Amino acid sequence: MPRKKMEEEDIQANLLPVMNIMFLLIPALLMAMEFASMASINVSPPKFAAAAQQKDEEQKKDEKPLNLKVFVMEDGFRVSADGQQEGAEAGKSQDSKAPTIGLAKQGAPLNDYERYDYAQLEAKAKGYKQLFPNEAVVTISAEANIPMQSIIMTMDALAGRTCKIAKALKGEQLPDDCYFWQPIVEGGAG
Amino acid sequence: MSPEQEAFLAKKKEKAAARRAKPEEKGELGMTSLMDIVSILVVYLLKSYASDPIVINPTAGQKIPMSSADAPVQDGVPIFVTTRGITFDNKKIVTMTPDGDIDPSQVQNHLIGPLYDQLAEEVDKAKQLAERTNKPWNARVILVGDQDLKFSVLVDVMYTTGRAEFAEYSFCVIRKS
Repeated sequence: MPRKKMEEEDIQANLLPVMNIMFLLIPALLMAMEFASMASINVSPPKFAAAAQQKDEEQKKDEKPLNLKVFVMEDGFRVSADGQQEGAEAGKSQDSKAPTIGLAKQGAPLNDYERYDYAQLEAKAKGYKQLFPNEAVVTISAEANIPMQSIIMTMDALAGRTCKIAKALKGEQLPDDCYFWQPIVEGGAG
Repeated sequence: MSPEQEAFLAKKKEKAAARRAKPEEKGELGMTSLMDIVSILVVYLLKSYASDPIVINPTAGQKIPMSSADAPVQDGVPIFVTTRGITFDNKKIVTMTPDGDIDPSQVQNHLIGPLYDQLAEEVDKAKQLAERTNKPWNARVILVGDQDLKFSVLVDVMYTTGRAEFAEYSFCVIRKS
């Protein structure tokens, strides 16, 4: 007796509802994704900043310039104003041995970006800003192997970590929590 | 063959014939959801491009520094500087040593030779274009750095761009949320 042949039936899955869901999932996931939003810090090289400062000086003849300088070292920040380092030995303008603000995390490696005491630096910047409300320029320099993230965080602390200048750049008034937001990057200055 | 089996086979044949005679059904795709998607995507992409006119695509492995700054990135010439090399115009033009310093053969008195040559060429082109269009030349450079980039490298890059007549600098950062 011949074997019965099984008749094969083509079963087709209904993909339409699946496709509908997939197509709706794509924008939902796209919207849920976090995109890094870019910003910029405008910095000036020394010679251009010096020219700008001269102009400022003409405008504010009565006010003595602050000339705030911050030097980022492996063991902390050296802060000086008008050529005089804060915390230097008596009679000396600079004291290369000791930083003005020590490390927040002693012994932390250089790539630990939180090793510096940014809060104290910000407090110092706030203090200077109260004394010199028209000043916004700060000269920043560092030792050769200081990582860029530490330099950026130093700039943030000096500008004020809550400072938002985007609106001020469009002509609105500068917020009160912005201190020294125009950094000059100087190489090899101690 | 028993009469039940014969009847069963006859019915089966009948069913198969009916199935063959039936016209094929055409599947239709639901276009509404597809249109929904496309409209949402178009609006989303338009919004993204409208708010960020300058698109910075970091090089592989580059960790752009984080900052609380919120100033928008202004138009300029981007230079990508990482601990592995300097990339300009999608070409890696300078290599670094394993310590993250610039290859000594490519730098002399803080001037990075290959970068300076490329920038000088770019400046010439930009100046010519500015002359023809009667628009001022935008001498801004956008430094897209790396979290671990050494300050000495940063200074060398800034010095080189300065020598190539760029007068304004922007450090590109990722805004902290």
